[in-house]
Amino acid sequence: MAGNKSQVLSLYRQFLRNASKFEDYNFRNYFLRKSRDEFKKHKDVSDPAEIANFIKSARQDLLVLKRQAEISQMYHFDKLVVEKLDRHHRT
Amino acid sequence: MLRLSCSRLLKGSRASAFPLRVPSLVAQAQWRQYSAAPALTKDIIQERIVELFESYDKTAGKEILPSSSFTRDLGLDSLDTVEVVMEIENEFSIIIPDHEADEIKTVQQAIDFIASQDDAC
Repeated sequence: MAGNKSQVLSLYRQFLRNASKFEDYNFRNYFLRKSRDEFKKHKDVSDPAEIANFIKSARQDLLVLKRQAEISQMYHFDKLVVEKLDRHHRT
Repeated sequence: MLRLSCSRLLKGSRASAFPLRVPSLVAQAQWRQYSAAPALTKDIIQERIVELFESYDKTAGKEILPSSSFTRDLGLDSLDTVEVVMEIENEFSIIIPDHEADEIKTVQQAIDFIASQDDAC
């Protein structure tokens, strides 16, 4: 069980890390929101088979997310007006 | 001919002290960069972490002390803790490896970890 927990947390971290790599604001926020919602929706699951299933599908989705995040970095997206330009220079 | 004049020049320069003095590097190091960020002290780290918690939905309005535990005092679950630690990473522009991130369970531990990182800013 403890092994599962650290596995899921590590997956969650990787999801968030890769989702925040997206250049495009809309994609980035969509994937961040989607990752958070999916993990939170399944946080009370206790059936081992279901947990294993979730981990398996999350691994596959992570590969897709990684690939798409990399592809998104090959293109330029203009910043939207709602985006902060630089978080360290806010007033 | 060229070789001869070159060797004479070299010999000459070695004999007499080189007239042009290059300012030493020590003098240059005394220049202060006004654009440089202030040094990251524990107080500044704490202030920035507390600010971060205050802007986070689930911990807004709660009292943030260095001794506060993420799960016990601030009511975060393990997924929220991962998120908060990632926000701290972004705030200080560092990447915390998984096994270190799992160890951070209180505000004080986060402050100590950031203080131990040279490249945090």
